[in-house]
Amino acid sequence: MFKILLDRKEPSMEAVRKHQNFQEILAAYNYQQKVNNPWRYWYYPVLTVCLLLLV
Amino acid sequence: MPLQFSLQQQSFLPSEERTQIERAQQDPRYFAPLYERYHDAIFRYVYRRVDEEEQAYDITSSVFVKALQSLHKYEYRGLPFGAWLFRIAKSELYQSFRDQKAQRTVSIDKVVLKQVIDEWTEDYTEEDKARLLVALKDLKEQQLQLIEMRFFEKRSFKEIGDICGLSENNAKVKTFRAVLKLKEFFHQKE
Repeated sequence: MFKILLDRKEPSMEAVRKHQNFQEILAAYNYQQKVNNPWRYWYYPVLTVCLLLLV
Repeated sequence: MPLQFSLQQQSFLPSEERTQIERAQQDPRYFAPLYERYHDAIFRYVYRRVDEEEQAYDITSSVFVKALQSLHKYEYRGLPFGAWLFRIAKSELYQSFRDQKAQRTVSIDKVVLKQVIDEWTEDYTEEDKARLLVALKDLKEQQLQLIEMRFFEKRSFKEIGDICGLSENNAKVKTFRAVLKLKEFFHQKE
């Protein structure tokens, strides 16, 4: 069921801009990319093994 | 009218926008001008459909993060970029409703409500207003969405079609049917 709101006051464009900015979105996106990267668990172990093999 | 975010009111050339999209597909940092152009419109679209302002901000954020994640899939085939964003917003909104993180809300201006009733009855009364609000609750979700976009947000049929994934003609027909249904419910409540 939904709720009806009559003559609801909307925040101004400036208030919206102040509340959110592109840098935050970009940071959230970069974080998501990092978390979703399947190599993130393997990167350091593989690198270590490669280095050990080289040595 | 408080809502001024018609997709057709965008004065940017599609070619300019296409260049911006292509650059953003290469590097997400170049998404900034697209974000600046559409953020307010998307926020207001979400805000009018949820109960709390903070939720509107959260959903808007996830819309843009999702847009950045799927940007490589976007290809211009006649669907305006703004409409593509609105589709993501719609899907994020309904996900929030399903997860019960947000309460579905319909924001209506009394002036618009009066305009709708004026077309059906000769004298507008407070009782009519109450009846219309009850009648709205009897509509199916898709019918409500169409009425909401057409009458409360003053969108064109082309925009409605783009957002809902319908042709302009189909959007027109479905909206007309939704209005008939609403009118029927409205008169039933007499």
